[in-house]
Order: sequence, then structure tokens, then C-alpha cells
Amino acid sequence: EHAKMVKFLKTGKAVILLQGRFAGRKAVIVRVFEEGTRDRPYGHCLVAGLAKYPKKVIRKDSAKKTAKKSRVKCFLKLVNFTHIMPTRYTLDVDFKDVASGGPDALATRDKKVASCKAAKARLEERFKTGKNRWFFTKLRF
Amino acid sequence: MAQKKSGDNINNKLQLVMKSGKYTLGYKTVLRTLRNSKAKLVILANNCPPLRKSEIEYYAMLAKITVHHYHGNNVDLGTACGKYFRVCCLSIIDPGDSDIINATPAGQ
Repeated sequence: EHAKMVKFLKTGKAVILLQGRFAGRKAVIVRVFEEGTRDRPYGHCLVAGLAKYPKKVIRKDSAKKTAKKSRVKCFLKLVNFTHIMPTRYTLDVDFKDVASGGPDALATRDKKVASCKAAKARLEERFKTGKNRWFFTKLRF
Repeated sequence: MAQKKSGDNINNKLQLVMKSGKYTLGYKTVLRTLRNSKAKLVILANNCPPLRKSEIEYYAMLAKITVHHYHGNNVDLGTACGKYFRVCCLSIIDPGDSDIINATPAGQ
């Protein structure tokens, strides 16, 4: 008997949003709500994604230009699993302070803004290291 | 000749699954079972639209679940399931008495 069942919708999975304002954007799963919650009785997850991708940085850019081009606009969203396309990529960014809020990280406006800022900082520092290049390139369609 | 025999075999095994096992029919539920890893085997008809086929194969690749390409179109697959409607993709959750899970990885 082979236990072939691999759950792949886990934290750290890179996904692409399929519906909504952020359709076509890449995001990372921050927290999974398998069974759903009382407000959302379906499987969904909290994702942190790129509302605005960082621009292409070239070698002859000055330090100031590089800093400006590496900026990222982040979004946090609770998405249904059916509105997500999982990919084979992962992004192991530590989203502890974003995820610790959990469902109420998005409850009030200022909590959401604070979590968003934390996520933005994390994503920006990851982009600057040059890893996970696929994640930070815009999906052309 | 060997080809024909394995075609019959799959039909017989499917019949057994329909009788004794758990399964879901249809694209939406197939994706759902793939996502929560309840599926053990996914069967696609041969006239499944290529985008949908690729999508299901990709999900199955992530979940490490075998996909079987049925030698017949959705009408045939529906008949093989004993249903009077077309079935483009189906997912077997619990094979019951059938050994379809062990038999197909070789067949594909």
C-alpha cells in the first residue's frame, strides 16, 4: 500500500491567483484553513502576493534607482482554493508576524495595513537576495 | 490483442469501483479531490480539452497521483461508469473491492 497522498497546498507554496482583482498575480500561501472557518465554510488560505512586481534592475542603475526599482507592493488576501492555481515552486519566507495574526490579521483596517507592511518588507528583502527569481517576474498572459 | 484485453480490463475494474467504491465524476470535484489529496486515481477521457487535461495532470503531478488516459471519449467513459451522461474526468477516492489502483500505473 503506497500512501501516495501528498498535500501540496501548504504554507510556502507559490500560487497564482485566478480570480478577482489580483488575477494573474503570484502569491505565497501564508496560512491554510483546510476546513474553513465559520465565516468561510470552505477550504481557503491566506496568501501574500505581489500587487506590483519589482521592476527590472540593470547593472548600470545607480543605487538610488536600484532601490526604487526593487520596491514591491504587497497584498494580503483570503482566497478560496478554487481560485488559486498551485505551482511547483515554493517560497520559504518567514511570515511569522503576518501569520500569527491569523484570521484576524485582516479583520481591522490597521491590522491589515500593518501585516501588509511586514509582508512587503519580507518580500523585498527576498527579492534583493536574488533568489526565487521566478516568483518576482511578472506572469505574461 | 493485448491492447483490446487491457481496454476491457479497465472497464471491468471501473464497473467494480462504481459498485463497491467511492468516486467522483466531473472536473470540479476531481480538482477538489486532488487538492485535498483524497483521490487515488484520476481517469481522463481522450477528448478532454487539452487545457483541462494539462491542468489536471499538473495537479496530479503535485499531489503524486496517477492519471490514467482512458482509451475512449467522454461518452464511452460515461457508459463505462454505467451512467447515461458524458464523463470527461473522474477521480477514484476509494477503490472498494477493485484493484484498479495497483493495475493502472503500468498501463497508463
